[in-house]
Amino acid sequence: MSVTITQQRDKCIGCNYCVEQAPERWRMSKKDGKSVLIGAKEKKGFWTVKVADHELQANLDAAKVCPVKIIQVTMK
Amino acid sequence: MSFPKVELMAPAGNFDSLAAAIQAGADSIYFGVEQLNMRSRSSVNFTVHDLKEIATRCKAHHVKTYLTLNTIVYDHDLALMKLIINSAKQVGIDAVIAADQAVIAYANKQKMEVHISTQLNITNVDTVEFYARFADVMVLSRELSIRQIKGISDAIKKQQIKGPSGKLVQIEVFAHGSLCMAVSGKCYLSLHTHNASANRGACVQNCRRKYKVIDIEDGHELELDNEYIMSPKDLCTIDFLNELIAAGVNVLKIEGRGKSADYVKTVTQCYREAIDLYYEGMFTQNKVKEWKEQLQQVYNRDFWGGYYLGKELGEWTDTAGSKALTRKIYLGKGSRYFSKSKIAEFEIESYSLEVGDKIAIIGPTTGVIEHVVASLHVNEEGAKTTAAKGDLCAFPLDVPIRKSDKLYKIVAAEEVVA
Repeated sequence: MSVTITQQRDKCIGCNYCVEQAPERWRMSKKDGKSVLIGAKEKKGFWTVKVADHELQANLDAAKVCPVKIIQVTMK
Repeated sequence: MSFPKVELMAPAGNFDSLAAAIQAGADSIYFGVEQLNMRSRSSVNFTVHDLKEIATRCKAHHVKTYLTLNTIVYDHDLALMKLIINSAKQVGIDAVIAADQAVIAYANKQKMEVHISTQLNITNVDTVEFYARFADVMVLSRELSIRQIKGISDAIKKQQIKGPSGKLVQIEVFAHGSLCMAVSGKCYLSLHTHNASANRGACVQNCRRKYKVIDIEDGHELELDNEYIMSPKDLCTIDFLNELIAAGVNVLKIEGRGKSADYVKTVTQCYREAIDLYYEGMFTQNKVKEWKEQLQQVYNRDFWGGYYLGKELGEWTDTAGSKALTRKIYLGKGSRYFSKSKIAEFEIESYSLEVGDKIAIIGPTTGVIEHVVASLHVNEEGAKTTAAKGDLCAFPLDVPIRKSDKLYKIVAAEEVVA
């Protein structure tokens, strides 16, 4: 199984909840106040990274609490 | 920054609304950029890069520009907050509307004029005096009565409370638009249920929904006269605008950065006319009736006078959405304008347009044009009474339209099947 996380960063409102749920994968940018998906690469506004299975639950939680629903976690 | 009359401030959630506010005669507009404003959820938000155009367009019409930067602010927001204020100052935005002390302090340091947001809930003259060290305009709490507002206004004059500009502090109040159930917008309902803080501009508006009260022990549902028990009707002060102005208010603000351009135009126009007629001594109940009829055409949850009249507390709406008497139906987009013959051409993408239809043309430069279609030229077929989906249609129009314009048909609300 592989876990992919995607963030539509433009729409982030900087609430910090993803960082609270999955601090290993998310941090707040001090530059623009939006959250940063650590290790992700950008394509047309979407930031994507593949992560290890053990990160799944924390990131599902992050996606769930995101108030603007811009985080997607997919499993293959 | 003193206006001879009370200042009319309109909301600008995007360039369509900004153009509409200018057209309708607003003295000033307020808007948010990036995520540090109370409408950060809204899909269209200005960015720092739009600041220059906002300032330039408004200056050309002598309209003041105020930037809302009034969310709660975390450590990770500080750099963005400073960047926004620096950029705003650089392009000549007139003031920042702030609630957080970090924002107030930084704007002061940068010599950027500060207005105190209603989020700070100012309810007495000593608080006005406190914030006068930093700000020239204070938006008062939405929960004050006219009598209380007059008390504060009189005390400002008596005590000569002056802001950093050296002029008497100005007071601003909300004149029209949505009210929320929480004191000065400080609500955590949306945060509790959806993790979406209203204080970060992400309110999901759960107060606008229906609720039941259930007795957990026996499962009985309590009957409520009105199931929208947390959704207040919208504020409308046009029937007593004379009293509000006479109370010494300097700025009247219209709520609605999340609302459409036609809403901004209609509401701003009504209040513009009301203010002008007040100063000409022509503010009459007959005019009030006309304005109220116009205000009912656009988005509203029915109206009440808020807390200003010191009575009728708790007027709740009885519908989920708008009670507007008209609705807009999207028809298509602008194609071109023949300036010599004054003909506007549109591409119909959905529904159909007929001779006699009332239309609205809305765009970022155009603002809002309302018009009744007198004749139609469709494709190469000449004069027709109907233009259908896929047709290119043209009709005479005195003002130019643009490719960025959208064409809507205005219909009575009951004609639209929900």
